[in-house]
Amino acid sequence: MTQAVIAGYARSPFTLAAKGALARVRPDDLAAETIAGLVARLSLNAADLEAVILGCAFPEGEQGLNLARLVGLNAGLPQSVGGYTVNHFCGSSMQAIHIAAGHIAAGAGEAFIAAGVESMSRVPMGGYNPLPNPGLYAKLPAAYMGMGETAENVAAKWNISRAEQEAFAVESQRRAAAAIAEGRLREEIVPITSKAGMVERDGCPRPETSAETLAGLKPAFSTEGSVTAGTSSPLTDGASAVLVCSADYAAKHGLKPLARILASATAGCAPEIMGIGPVAASKKALARAGISAADLDVVELNEAFASQSLACIRDLGLDAAKVNIDGGAIALGHPLGATGARITGKAASLLARTGGRYALATQCIGGGQGIATVLERV
Amino acid sequence: MMESIRKAAIIGAGTMGAAIAAQFANAGVPVLLLDIVKDGTPNRNALAEGAIAKMLKTDPAPFMSTRAAKLVTPGNLEDDLGQLSSCDWIVEAIIERLDLKQALYKKIDAVRKPGSAVSSNTSTIPLAKLTEGMPESFKRDFLITHFFNPPRYMRLLELVSGPETDAKLAQSVARFADLMLGKSVVSAKDSPGFIANRLGVFWLQTGVVEAMELGLTVEEADAIMSRPFGIPKTGVFGLIDLVGLDLMPHINASLAGSLPKSDAFHATNKDIPLIKTMIAEGNIGRKGKGGFYRKGPKGREAIDLASGAYRPVRKAATPDGRDLRKLLENSAYAWRVMGPTLAYAASLLPEAADDVHAIDEAMRLGYNWKLGPFELIDKIGADWLAEKLAKDGMKVPALLDAARGQSFYKLDGAKRLYLGLDDAYHELHRPEGVLMLEDIKRATKPLLKNASASLWDIGDGVLCFELTSKSNSWDAQNLELLGKAIELVPQNHKALVIYNEGAHFSVGANLGLALFAANIAAWGEIEKLVASGQKTFKALKYAPFPSVAAPFGMALGGGCEIVLHASAVQAHAETYIGLVECGVGLVPAWGGCTEMLSRYQGAKTMPKGPMPAAAKVFEMVSTATVSKSAANAKELLFLRESDGITMNRYRLLADAKAKALALVEAYAAPEPPTYQLPGEDGRVGFGMAVKEFRKKGLATPYDEVVAGELATVLSGGEADIIDRPSEADILALERGAFTRLIRKDGTLARIETMLTTGKPLRN
Repeated sequence: MTQAVIAGYARSPFTLAAKGALARVRPDDLAAETIAGLVARLSLNAADLEAVILGCAFPEGEQGLNLARLVGLNAGLPQSVGGYTVNHFCGSSMQAIHIAAGHIAAGAGEAFIAAGVESMSRVPMGGYNPLPNPGLYAKLPAAYMGMGETAENVAAKWNISRAEQEAFAVESQRRAAAAIAEGRLREEIVPITSKAGMVERDGCPRPETSAETLAGLKPAFSTEGSVTAGTSSPLTDGASAVLVCSADYAAKHGLKPLARILASATAGCAPEIMGIGPVAASKKALARAGISAADLDVVELNEAFASQSLACIRDLGLDAAKVNIDGGAIALGHPLGATGARITGKAASLLARTGGRYALATQCIGGGQGIATVLERV
Repeated sequence: MMESIRKAAIIGAGTMGAAIAAQFANAGVPVLLLDIVKDGTPNRNALAEGAIAKMLKTDPAPFMSTRAAKLVTPGNLEDDLGQLSSCDWIVEAIIERLDLKQALYKKIDAVRKPGSAVSSNTSTIPLAKLTEGMPESFKRDFLITHFFNPPRYMRLLELVSGPETDAKLAQSVARFADLMLGKSVVSAKDSPGFIANRLGVFWLQTGVVEAMELGLTVEEADAIMSRPFGIPKTGVFGLIDLVGLDLMPHINASLAGSLPKSDAFHATNKDIPLIKTMIAEGNIGRKGKGGFYRKGPKGREAIDLASGAYRPVRKAATPDGRDLRKLLENSAYAWRVMGPTLAYAASLLPEAADDVHAIDEAMRLGYNWKLGPFELIDKIGADWLAEKLAKDGMKVPALLDAARGQSFYKLDGAKRLYLGLDDAYHELHRPEGVLMLEDIKRATKPLLKNASASLWDIGDGVLCFELTSKSNSWDAQNLELLGKAIELVPQNHKALVIYNEGAHFSVGANLGLALFAANIAAWGEIEKLVASGQKTFKALKYAPFPSVAAPFGMALGGGCEIVLHASAVQAHAETYIGLVECGVGLVPAWGGCTEMLSRYQGAKTMPKGPMPAAAKVFEMVSTATVSKSAANAKELLFLRESDGITMNRYRLLADAKAKALALVEAYAAPEPPTYQLPGEDGRVGFGMAVKEFRKKGLATPYDEVVAGELATVLSGGEADIIDRPSEADILALERGAFTRLIRKDGTLARIETMLTTGKPLRN
């Protein structure tokens, strides 16, 4: 079996939906520029690529048609490079990485761009024409439950107080602010062209966030609830991309692999507590990798909400100090389709940076799922 | 003088200056807003930019749309003075200091283009002083344009020309203010306080002094000095709270300083220690901690005029104003305030204005009095008033004396006449191009008429349908008359205008009648009324002639639906239109749903598919969205991009008639729309959204019931997404939802609460 490695990672700046600097940038342009940026940084011979596998949670409108193919063409990749679009909601671009690794293992290609994009400014969450199935809704209303409500359910079921969630959010903001201040995010960001000029910096972080400011916010989803806008990831625009290739390909072309993909998994859970999805998925992936949570040096856990992040950290027995060391989605933002490639690419690059051996990247998925990837430093 | 005003500048970004700039922008005119560079701030435009940002958050909003806000360019007086050279009208609205104003005029004069108008918004400084020492060319182009606060909403503009002011320039400014800014321009003389504030301040000051001397509470004083005289319910004390107590001493001192010793104002301009204390304590009115009234921890409070302590508001009875003589006889306060005020008004001619009409108009539009002082005198009787003044030892002004045995206004056939200072009657002319239904009604007989509506011939083949019911609400009678009008127009006429001159265009269906019918279970009658409204409005829509609705003020519920069915709309800029039925537990059922769905489905900016239009209309109607202006109504698609907006209320009918005539030649009735709607899938989606709103505390249990019925209509009922339901299908769904809801207690409770309190019940 050929082992797949992650040999490069880049992303666009992540900015707030509707009011951020990328709000007026088309998602297909955003993804194309990010991918072109990665290809250029790695001095790849793009003709070697088998395909662009692009994750997107709401692939319609400007994100519609076969977005991956259009983005590949738009990015100036050779026409010989294939492209297909993957929808696994928030897990879309991590799924793209898994598919690439699977193809490599099966001998069905040597090098892939696994990428993701979401313009939450330009395509609304839920899409333009949300048409739930009345029969399924009658049987299982939670299948269509809003994400905020699931976060409340997790907070209640795992008994996670508002103060704990707020402390977690403050820490996420603090870590992101420190990473930005120390220039640790600079090299992963590809500047993006907008009508108003180049966009080079993340727009979501609120470094001034304190426990006091968060305590003053109203619950965002339920009058009786504990989840606020401050303890949720913001609606975000952004794109991300990684190069997934065989170890041989990397060696042959002088690429420095950041990590090898040791194991991957996806798992379902009850839709009304979708935020706990990473637990089952991570347990499966760790078991497939033959390691335990205690062996992990780096964890990238998508912070859809503070409540589900804390529940996952607790149930997986993770060391909070190793989770999201450059800050998570509460501070950096969560452009649905782009998050998976960001946190997987980030985990790989953190292994390289910290010298740790094992990393886990995992996230929850609306509708009640989790997805996880275990990496090992090369 | 410039032919038209294409660009303007306002100097001074204070409350007035900034809001005047906003009104130019509302008129679609680019405007420069300049202020000084504030020391110590790196942003040299901080004052103007701050003022614009603040206005975007102010309620009531100075801007009519976000689009308008973009027409205001902020700047400062050091870097941007040169830009004045491209402006056709420069309005100075800086603080009331003569030296600063004169210095500014010199700077303006050095850069402005020849023939551009320069005006001051001063309310206290005479024109003669402002232009002292300025060159003749400046004096020719200079005038005072005194706006009232807030400039978007107050319709009065006092215009003062100097002896050297170019008459053509003044005329051009007045015309622009009338047509574009929507103001009624009243020519005032260069006398202290001009007209409205001269009389208004006298009235307010007398109102305070007399309430204290007579030992009245503020509530008692305001109850007398408001509704009975056709004055807004704020009365004296409530109005001072609104304006700001802190302004009173300045305005009073300024007037006292400039009025001749013989002026009656001096006698009433007494120091009021309570006001001084209140100002010192920050109780300067609504913009401060509180005023004569304030919001207390347990509800509204009022100040005790004797002790200065706040206590809960005590509701005072409103006296009957039908017989003003009786009121003036029986209420010492009414007499001791209104007697001198009316006498003072009569003494202001010719010093402050040329005729009684100018003073009446100034008080109607500057202080929102229903009747001006001379109209009030006519109601009371000039003889009676003169005698009572004399009996009480007060001086009877010459003009009032001259009016004995006659009235200030009278009719000669359809002509309105006013009593001139020469003791002769003169005809009162409307400004050129103004057409008022009031005038037509005096001169002609209606073609059709019943207790709730009339049909008038407004000339050139155009008929005007006028609602005459209470609050212009819709009932079986006016629907019937509209039906007859639709049949009548094609016989001998070309077009129909729907218009009236009430306080609001129409507040919707007559809820009192609906509640009455529901209470006696006259379901058949209710269903008949719903069906007849649909039939009549659709008959209007598909009629072989063009119709133009001319809404102004509120156009709610059925009042909105008639507008949606007209071929075109000419709306007053201040039109507050919306489908508010859900607030009373109902859904729009006179075609409001069909029209809004078809507008949103046809909108180029909407995504394709069965859901977006339905979702947008669902959001708007379930939350009873009402436009904040006609411009905003276009953004909400209550009005089409091609619909017209009239800035001046007096010009609405003329513009509507012109619009109707313009449509006549090529007119073809529209084709009925078909729809693509999401059916049950969409209904589930809407239901989910409402549940989330409930969780967030933004919807009540009964909102969910009403929204459920609305969802049924807007999703197309049992339609599948491959079906193409017709307008008739959606109309049937409207009727079904309406008749189910009107039978529910939750709906009846909402209607009853609305009728008794005027506020929605959140059950």
